[in-house]
Amino acid sequence: MGLMRDIFMTELMGGMKLVFLQMFKPSCTLQYPHVKHNVPDGYRGLMSLLRYEDGSERCVGCSLCEAACPSNCIKVVSDEVPGQPLVRYAKEYYLDITRCVFCGFCTEACPVDALAMTKVYEASVYDRRELMFDKHKLYELGEAHLADGKAYLLAHNMDDGTLNPTEGLGDNRYEFPPVDLGEGVPVPTTVGLTREALEAEVAKS
Amino acid sequence: MELAMTVGLAVFQIAIVMGVVLLSVAYMTYAERKVLSFMQDRLGPMEVGPYGLLQPIADGLKLFFKEDIIPSSANKLIFAIAPIICLVPALIGFAVMPYNETYAAFGGEAGVISDLNVGLLYILAFASVGTYGVILAGWSSNSKYAMLGGLRCGAQIISYELALGLSIVGVLLLSGSLSLREITMAQDGGFWHWNILLQPVAFVTYVISAVAETNRLPFDMPEAESELVAGFFTEYTGMRFAFFFLAEYANMILVCCLASVLFLGGYEAPMEFLNFIPGFIWLAIKTWALLFFFIWIRGTFPRVRFDQLMKFGWKVLIPITLANILFTALGVYIYNN
Repeated sequence: MGLMRDIFMTELMGGMKLVFLQMFKPSCTLQYPHVKHNVPDGYRGLMSLLRYEDGSERCVGCSLCEAACPSNCIKVVSDEVPGQPLVRYAKEYYLDITRCVFCGFCTEACPVDALAMTKVYEASVYDRRELMFDKHKLYELGEAHLADGKAYLLAHNMDDGTLNPTEGLGDNRYEFPPVDLGEGVPVPTTVGLTREALEAEVAKS
Repeated sequence: MELAMTVGLAVFQIAIVMGVVLLSVAYMTYAERKVLSFMQDRLGPMEVGPYGLLQPIADGLKLFFKEDIIPSSANKLIFAIAPIICLVPALIGFAVMPYNETYAAFGGEAGVISDLNVGLLYILAFASVGTYGVILAGWSSNSKYAMLGGLRCGAQIISYELALGLSIVGVLLLSGSLSLREITMAQDGGFWHWNILLQPVAFVTYVISAVAETNRLPFDMPEAESELVAGFFTEYTGMRFAFFFLAEYANMILVCCLASVLFLGGYEAPMEFLNFIPGFIWLAIKTWALLFFFIWIRGTFPRVRFDQLMKFGWKVLIPITLANILFTALGVYIYNN
């Protein structure tokens, strides 16, 4: 039997049959630039900054993301909102995507859910300088991928949806507390106002 | 006038045969990539043209415009000549390949460029010359990988050429001629006249030796990329590299064409009623079936070790072919008396 197996090369023929049949199975190639994978909600793509529904910036310039970043690619320049003492925002915000390791620690560090990651993974550009994201670019990305950013926050349990139940997704809006600046110093009239009233106040002054 | 006609006929046939062979070489690379891809659940080239059909042309253009690098320590003359020595014998074998039944053209009879009465010997002789190209390429590159690849190629081709030649002898004994046209004509009249039925062992040994002879997987020791980078053409670039590539595929087509002529009836139709299909189409079908087989075994078998290769050639194939010759000779002797 062994000799006959050797002469007719049974094992080799078995292998060849298997390979031949494999030829008719459908391919598992994805024709990438033409067809794309569905990216899951928790996907860590390019970073973006989000705005609230009323269009105001979420970021309060606390620099916690800068502290959490393991590759030191974030730089926040914090400043007071003009005419609103103690109400802070990020005057400048730089994110060097060439150094970013896409760990998502910054989004976890953010107390107001201002940072979120989008599903954008095609970040190639011809000029490296375009990968130095500034505040403008990050907000642009956030506007373009707002739904993705919110889905990211939800997927990573950073938003339990309690603060803004009508949307199904909370905003974790940070309410600046009224402050006592001490004897003799007038308390700014803006503290404790709603955002619309505050903006009207700023526009007046 | 007669001279002009003869020359015209020769040029006409050379143009046809070379055109078809070079086109087949180009599309053999495409077919190989596609079939291998399907065997590995991939799609293969898909971008250039519909289903990647223009890929060979794109590759050819790319190779043509690539920079030609000659290593500074290489022997420049031999380095330049080696690809040509490799390519010419691969193409020249088609001169004696009968591609169709005799037909009238330019006032003469066409069907084969030159019906040499020693056609088979001619092909075998030129196949050996091709080895020089490989060995010289390996030596002149002045690189250890190329050198090893060239030496391996020399050893392998000499060993397997023996088995290749010996497996053909059985066919020669049956048809009594070295002319490929006469061998084809002896197999006329249906597939039960084909030599493969009388010489099945010789066919198997021929195909195995042909795979080794053309340096194809699983016997691609001269260019074993996991050991020798790219073997004998490691240092070659651009068009010179393309020449080796062309030579490899032209050689494959040559041995498959030869196998069709020797064992599968060449341009003869398998059944009488199929005679309305022209002969060159039958030859192409048979050749491409064998070429598919070459790709198929490439997709199936891993590369053998070099000592196993040598052992298989000398201790298994050559004794089998010798025994085959003995039995064929006995059979022919008894049949004729």
